[in-house]
Formats: sequence, C-alpha cells, structure tokens
Amino acid sequence: MVHALQEAHRVLKRQGQLIDVRPGPSHRRVGILHGRRWRLVGVMRESLEEDRAANAAIRVALSKGLFRREAYAKVDLWRHFDTLADFAGFLEEFTRLGADLPPHDWMVQRLKTALAKIPSTAKIVVRGPLELRRLRKGG
Amino acid sequence: MAIEIDPERREVAALGRVADWKGAHVLEVGCGDGRLTLRLAGLGARVTALDPDRSLIRTARRALPKAHSRQVRYYVGSASRLRHASESFDMVVFAWSL
Repeated sequence: MVHALQEAHRVLKRQGQLIDVRPGPSHRRVGILHGRRWRLVGVMRESLEEDRAANAAIRVALSKGLFRREAYAKVDLWRHFDTLADFAGFLEEFTRLGADLPPHDWMVQRLKTALAKIPSTAKIVVRGPLELRRLRKGG
Repeated sequence: MAIEIDPERREVAALGRVADWKGAHVLEVGCGDGRLTLRLAGLGARVTALDPDRSLIRTARRALPKAHSRQVRYYVGSASRLRHASESFDMVVFAWSL
C-alpha cells in the first residue's frame, strides 16, 4: 500500500492532489428499508484489518512527507439489494476478494424472517461510513 | 436493478465538496466496473482509470456512455507499477482500492 502511494506521488504534478475514497473501519449495519423507514436487522462481523492497514499506510506516507492532509469528509453510504440472493452475492464477494468474513448465515436467516413480515416492496439496505480524504502532494 | 450502490448519491456529493474536478486530469486507481469513474466524469474530470481485473475493465468499457467517451480511458494495470510519466496528473484517486 505504501508503494502504491509512492507511485501516486510520482505521477502527480507538483501540488497535485490525492483523493482516497473507501469505507471507514466500521462494521456495516444491515437492515430493511420499507417506505422511508430503515430498520436494523443486524451488524456484520467483517474483519476491519485491511481498512486499518490502509490507514496505517496513509500515516506512513504523511510521516515521510509525501503528502499533507487537506480535507476530510464522511458520509453514510447505502447499498440497496432487491432480494436475499443479491445480499448473499454481496457476502460471497468478500470471499472472492480474499477478505476475512466469518459465516453470516444467521444474518441471512434474520433478514428472511424480517422480510416475511412486510410487503415485497421492501429492500435490504446495508449502511456503512464512507470516508474521503484529500491529501496534497508534498516535497 | 438488483443491487444499487449509493442511489442517494451521497458519495458524489461528498466528492464534489472535497475537490474541484472540472477539467482536472485524473488517474483513478482500482476503478472496478467504472461506477465511480462515471461519477468523476460527470463532475467534469478527464479520467484515466485502471484496474488489475481484465473482466471488470471489459465491463467498464461496455458501460461507458457516448457522452463520456472522450473524457474516460480504461486500461488493465496495477497500482504498484503505474505506466505513466512522472508529474502527469492533477489528481490521483484511490477508489475503494487502498
């Protein structure tokens, strides 16, 4: 990760900007959206190690003087899933990308139970913080 | 659509707040299927976007609307060895990829 930041530094013009956009190190919240109301069903137990490693790489790049901090923003990012199968595909994506995700069958079961009690127009919505950083190229 | 990321467009609103993209020459690292790329193009950036996954780049190229075809270029590549000259971009974006 630090090497990727060094490469970014190399290809940036003088005073160029690096924008780092990624989910924050926080467990995603899974719920049901019905109308305008979102109701929590469970909190995921994904590993946050990669997020923390990326933050550490940023700290290294800052300490080396490659970049300096300029701006930060955080938003609540929502992912909408029409069906349980779509959500299961989302869980499989973690495995495909080599992320450390324990089984979440319990979450699928809870969603199934929750969805059975409400109209079919309801959606599964996963919420989590998205962090954006703007860094300015240093010396 | 079965899965939709950020239909509320909070991400693009925040991107618009953290930087001025209009006319900027941007290198996007880890563009995936081009979801964020199109949003950056919509903000006025000229985007060169790369991803190591060939199939995702193929998907991104197929989904590129004509309106953005002169603003966006995709290629298969790695963040650890960028094939660009030094000091060639105004901005580098790590798109969910650091």
